[in-house]
Amino acid sequence: MNTLAAVGATLRKVCGTFTGATGLLIVALVLACAVFAPWIATHNPNALDVMNRFSPPSGAHWLGTDHLGRDLFSRMVHGSSVAMVTAMSAIALALCLGTALGILAGYLPPRSERFVLIVFDVISSFPSVVLALAVVAVFGPSLAIVIVIVAVTLIPHFGRVARSQVLTLRSAPFLEAERILGASWPRMVWHHVLPNILGPLVILASMDIPVVISIEAGLSFLGLGVRPPQASWGTLIQDGYQYLSQTWVPVAVASSALAVATLGFTLFGEALRDAVDPRIGREHA
Amino acid sequence: MNTTRDSQTLQPPLVAMRGLSVVFGGTVRALEDVSLEIREGEIVGLVGESGSGKTTLCRVLVGLTTATEGTVEVGGEPLAAQLARDPLAFRRRVQMLLQDAVASLSPRMTIGKTLREPIIIHDLPREAALQRLEQILRRLGLPPDVLAKFPHQISGGQARRVGVARALVMQPQLIVADEPTAGLDVSVQGELLNLMLDLQQELGLTYLLVSHNLNVIRRVSGRTAVMYLGQIVEEAPTQQLFDKPAHPYTAALLSTNPAIDPQRRTRRIVLQGEIPSVVNPPSGCRFHTRCPVAQPRCSVEAPALEAVADGAPGRRVRCHFPFSLDLQR
Amino acid sequence: MSMGATPTAEAAGSVAATPLVRITNLRLEASTPRGTAHILRGVSLDIGRGRILGVVGESGSGKSSLASCLMRLLPTNMTRLDGEIRFDGTDLLALDEAEMARWRGRRIAMIFQDPMTALNPLFTVATHLVDVLRRRHAGISRADALGRARNALTSVGIADADLRLAAYPHQLSGGMRQRVMIAMALLVEPDLLLADEPTTALDATVEAQIVDLLDQLRRKFAGAIVFISHHLGLVAQLCDDVCVMYGGTVVETGPVAEVLARPRHPYTRALLECEIESDDQGARLVSIPGEVQDPVAPHVACVFAPRCKYAQDACRAGVPPLVAVGAQHMVACVRAQELA
Repeated sequence: MNTLAAVGATLRKVCGTFTGATGLLIVALVLACAVFAPWIATHNPNALDVMNRFSPPSGAHWLGTDHLGRDLFSRMVHGSSVAMVTAMSAIALALCLGTALGILAGYLPPRSERFVLIVFDVISSFPSVVLALAVVAVFGPSLAIVIVIVAVTLIPHFGRVARSQVLTLRSAPFLEAERILGASWPRMVWHHVLPNILGPLVILASMDIPVVISIEAGLSFLGLGVRPPQASWGTLIQDGYQYLSQTWVPVAVASSALAVATLGFTLFGEALRDAVDPRIGREHA
Repeated sequence: MNTTRDSQTLQPPLVAMRGLSVVFGGTVRALEDVSLEIREGEIVGLVGESGSGKTTLCRVLVGLTTATEGTVEVGGEPLAAQLARDPLAFRRRVQMLLQDAVASLSPRMTIGKTLREPIIIHDLPREAALQRLEQILRRLGLPPDVLAKFPHQISGGQARRVGVARALVMQPQLIVADEPTAGLDVSVQGELLNLMLDLQQELGLTYLLVSHNLNVIRRVSGRTAVMYLGQIVEEAPTQQLFDKPAHPYTAALLSTNPAIDPQRRTRRIVLQGEIPSVVNPPSGCRFHTRCPVAQPRCSVEAPALEAVADGAPGRRVRCHFPFSLDLQR
Repeated sequence: MSMGATPTAEAAGSVAATPLVRITNLRLEASTPRGTAHILRGVSLDIGRGRILGVVGESGSGKSSLASCLMRLLPTNMTRLDGEIRFDGTDLLALDEAEMARWRGRRIAMIFQDPMTALNPLFTVATHLVDVLRRRHAGISRADALGRARNALTSVGIADADLRLAAYPHQLSGGMRQRVMIAMALLVEPDLLLADEPTTALDATVEAQIVDLLDQLRRKFAGAIVFISHHLGLVAQLCDDVCVMYGGTVVETGPVAEVLARPRHPYTRALLECEIESDDQGARLVSIPGEVQDPVAPHVACVFAPRCKYAQDACRAGVPPLVAVGAQHMVACVRAQELA
């Protein structure tokens, strides 16, 4: 089975369960919103209409407006872009760097390996919020900062898993066979080690997406993330929270979007993990 | 079929190991003073149990493990020098068939891609190499559709043949076969062995055959070396070794393989105790703790690997009292 | 060994009249993604009291599944288990799980191939043995149990029994662990002892020790032993009777010396030819062409026919029954008589 067929088969398996299918649906929805935000949103998310502030859901504004008259539906849709961009970039970055470091750690002599592990431990010991505060204090808030911070905090996560995979694989017969053939170390790592450790890492990545979404929302809520007037679910909640006495709709809208997205990705991630698990059902190529 | 070149030939042996010792971590003496020669075109059998060092010996021969002491020469040149000078050339010369054939294939690569690995790694002339590969596949009886499959989709027997094909692409001189029949049913062993023997004739290959299956060793190898706890304890032309073993350990080992035919059955020699640890081998003769015919001298003085007194060429034994344990029939 | 269907064979038997276990037409099927796999296709077999029966076969023969059926420890994807296993009169297959659990560890005991995984790494040897004793003799005191355990270890050739009692499985060598398993099995004082390739994972000289041990023990052991192995030489040396299995069926059974000296089934013959016993280094090695039939394929003819050099239309017409060709010597081949 080539990769494409394998992916197709896995997705079919995921749809096999109710939770998996639901997760996949929500994920597809959120991704669609994120990608096609300008077309799905009914209004410009930053368009002010102060005369119509706090208007309830209506034909013109499907979910109403916020304290500056901006359309909540459009802001929510654009917020999904922010969430997705953050999640995907942060995780991609962490995955690449973490895997690279993990593989290195798996092959280095004991002393150097210890050093890498200590670096991992140091990074892990920082809660992301504290790290964010420190960085923002120096550089000021921005989406790029959030992405970098989240990526850095996730590196040890992937790094450790990658390393333990490499350790199990190191004495595998097929790697010995490749050495006997005369394969160079880079060749072995790229062609033989990487394809065999990527599976669990990808699953891990998919299960980290909801975590990153929440972190981004949290940082934005605290004002450490995206700068206004850019719409993020976190800033939406913050704005709504300030005017909670006037209307609960903005908070409800943003929180629900966040909750649903998190739930959807969690369900999908778990279904994916189960679908790929060789103990539950058949193994995949 | 399995030829032993006339030992009178003055050609240097293909492989010459002298005083080879391998010590891991300063304590595990996996190989101790091993000397062995393999002549071109021979099939040399290597027999031994856990801790005998046969796996380590194979790994040294293919360049995976470095010797702590002693020399290994392949084709007259020291192995270490060859590896330093031109590692790829050495790899093309000495190849190995691993024990777990399916696991020796990269799990996420198709068989076709795996077979092309040597061509890419050694930058072999593509056309010629691919043609050779095609011929080899046909010769080994591997159907073309096997190229698109993954290792877990093929049988153990097919996996072994893929391993052979992969090794043969590089046109090696020496193949180290580690338990080539392990895991194979008796009814299909013969096919693989016939194939290996035919290839030896056709391509002029030399084999070092490691097996715990004494029947296979007896039928296929021309000369056999028996190892115990890191040392070679006996070496002889296979026929002679099986008919009249000189070392008590060899005798005991041979008796563990009961014959089906009651006429051929020898008496059962049961050794006492477990195989000692390689970290702390017994004093004197390493086998004396389990030897049924050990004498006081054996625990004090370690015997050297010497030619056997009765003058048979190529027979060496590491024992103070060879031929003292008989395999009475 | 006798087969119920032919009264003459039974009457002629010089062994105890009723076998300890009589298996009749045992069928085992399991579901796989590719369809229903026929693991055992109508196996009929007798296990004589006080005798060692060797069950030999290659991969796909079903020999290990046979042992699993006797213990009724079956895979979860099992769909069908038919037939009869009459153990001293009781049909084991008709018992419910609770009743069967009472049989295991009391009247049937088993030793497995891999002693590493068969012992619980968290418990000492003493705990393992005392556990077995408590189950067998309800209310036995710990002191009494330990005493018996000590004796059991000594009887399987373990010196320093006290030292070993306190040890954990990972502290023992493979051979030692296997001895512990044998000790456990013997403490059960079973009527039937199943040994599934007990020496395959051991070094040759250690294997010899265990085989020697089994040989000595069986003289003192009153029950029957089923010794499953792929090593014909071992079976020839150790067993009284042999049962040759192929593709989930029994193809030949009888006294071991008789069957191995005068094999009547083409598969047994071919198998013996493949065993490389001769010194003739010039001759080509024999193998059986083809592969074992896919277990998913339906069973309507002789399972060995596709690979048999004597196969004829009659062989493909129906499943050959086990018929007697000598005293207790049974063969499942329609051409057995003419090929003799």
